[in-house]
Amino acid sequence: MLTELDYSAFWLTLKLAGFTTIILLILSPALAWWLARSKLFFRPVVEAFVALPLVLPPTVLGFYLLLSFSPNNIFGRFWLNFTGSTLAFSFSGLLIASVIYSLPFVVQPLQSAFVNFDKAHLEVAATMGFNARERFYKIVLPMTLPSFIIAGALGFAHTIGEFGVVLMIGGNIPGETQVLSIALFDHVETLQYKQAHMLSITLLVFSMTLLVLIYGVLQKRQRRLNNA
Amino acid sequence: MPELIANKKIMAFDLSTQNNEMLFHFKGEIALLGVCGVFGDSGSGKTTFARAVAGLDDGFIGQLQFGDDIWQSNAHFLKTEKRKIGMVFQEPRLFPHLDVNANLVIASNKKRKPLYSIAQLGKALDFNDLLAKKTTQLSGGQKQRIAIARAILTATDLLIMDEPLSSLDQHSRNILLPFIKQLSTRLPIIYITHSMKELFYLSGQMILISHGKIEAIGSPQALFLDTKLSLVKHDHYGLFLYVTDLLWDSHYAVMKGKIDGQAVMLTVSEYKGESMKVKVESRDVIISRAPLHASSLQNKLMVTIEKIESISQWSVLLTLCIKKQKLLAKITKKSLLELKLQEKELIFAYIKAVSILG
Repeated sequence: MLTELDYSAFWLTLKLAGFTTIILLILSPALAWWLARSKLFFRPVVEAFVALPLVLPPTVLGFYLLLSFSPNNIFGRFWLNFTGSTLAFSFSGLLIASVIYSLPFVVQPLQSAFVNFDKAHLEVAATMGFNARERFYKIVLPMTLPSFIIAGALGFAHTIGEFGVVLMIGGNIPGETQVLSIALFDHVETLQYKQAHMLSITLLVFSMTLLVLIYGVLQKRQRRLNNA
Repeated sequence: MPELIANKKIMAFDLSTQNNEMLFHFKGEIALLGVCGVFGDSGSGKTTFARAVAGLDDGFIGQLQFGDDIWQSNAHFLKTEKRKIGMVFQEPRLFPHLDVNANLVIASNKKRKPLYSIAQLGKALDFNDLLAKKTTQLSGGQKQRIAIARAILTATDLLIMDEPLSSLDQHSRNILLPFIKQLSTRLPIIYITHSMKELFYLSGQMILISHGKIEAIGSPQALFLDTKLSLVKHDHYGLFLYVTDLLWDSHYAVMKGKIDGQAVMLTVSEYKGESMKVKVESRDVIISRAPLHASSLQNKLMVTIEKIESISQWSVLLTLCIKKQKLLAKITKKSLLELKLQEKELIFAYIKAVSILG
């Protein structure tokens, strides 16, 4: 019953969310650590900038991204010279947008884990001879692992639910930028309610399962590690 | 052996910092040999001193020389992880994501060569049956024993212990104190404590810290005898004495012995050895011009008054010379005047209570 296009939208969405999550899990820990520890006066400004996608209509973000992707702008021109293609209406453009759009969902759980992280453990690790890198991998990472999983899961789920930004900068190109939420929109527009239902139910069940896992298992595990 | 003394390692420091309106300045040097006790009131800066030596606070300026190595100078700061130390904090600080064994393994798989293996420490500190447990399953005393073992595993140059026994039960203390003393023959230890018993039992030298500064460095006996120091205000102020020629009297179930040739009796259940160290607090010494006959006081010493000093509005401190050893007595000014006590006079000192230091 689901068309070939639906399957390709499904696959594309997973690919987009997967890549976005990987990029965010590489970028966010350092940023979250800095936000949790820095006492510099401009930290709130950076923190606000990271949190912007939480409050801004996705269309506003999409609009400015669309402008910056244009070859008339420095960033768009640089990208065109560098790669030979434009970002607007491409998978790469979608990926950049998703990274910005889902950033707060990954940074905030990590930041709160790092704020609650007891510095005393790092002092012990330092007296034991571990340098900063070893302290992160041997102490901080394992002690905040549940929060890393929460952060990744939220970033993944939020990217799957993306609609407004995709519409603004990605359009509706099957196999390139047509993600699940857009395909669903198409089905409703053309009164194909049955397919719309199937896509919706899939997203609903997936999201519900993920959130139950986060709130029921992972957060509890992190609290146990913090209080031990 | 002069060459040994010339080769004796020292730690010299001149470190200062300012935080929360308090100025800290630690200047002096200690021999890196045995236990160096760090003593002082709460809030005087004992922990701050330990953290400065470990390099855990970056606000300090000045110099810190450890043996032949420079740990800190104006141009140079050796990071904590490069100082080959082990540190026991006041709380155990075990890693919650690891079980007991893993907490020890993570400390021992580094480049430093531990003085003891985990198995040896497990035997000495009695925790071999705890290795498979999670840290949350341990009692406070058990956790601290693991924390001490973990610090010993990484300490190859220096062990810093910040009131390690203050949260422990008597059983754990009895295991740990002799072990720490034995350990100090192989590894210099900086030992922060507010227990005079631990201080006298463990340390050959001590640092006295008061109001963020080092007031004196020396042997505990010498510092506690010096009435110019802030130690005088301690209520428990007292000295330790060596009791020799110990002999168990099974009839009265007491230990007989001698202090500088004068006979005394101690109530101690079991002790093997020919001499022991006891502490007599200054408020537990009673002065009399004549022998007391109808009294329960048993331990009488003939002493000479060496010095009489006023230490408060109503009290004076007498330094009493037995022969070689000294005793302190805190009495009221009223008693001093009524007994008409003078320096160099021969009087009787009765000891009401002693604590056994071992």
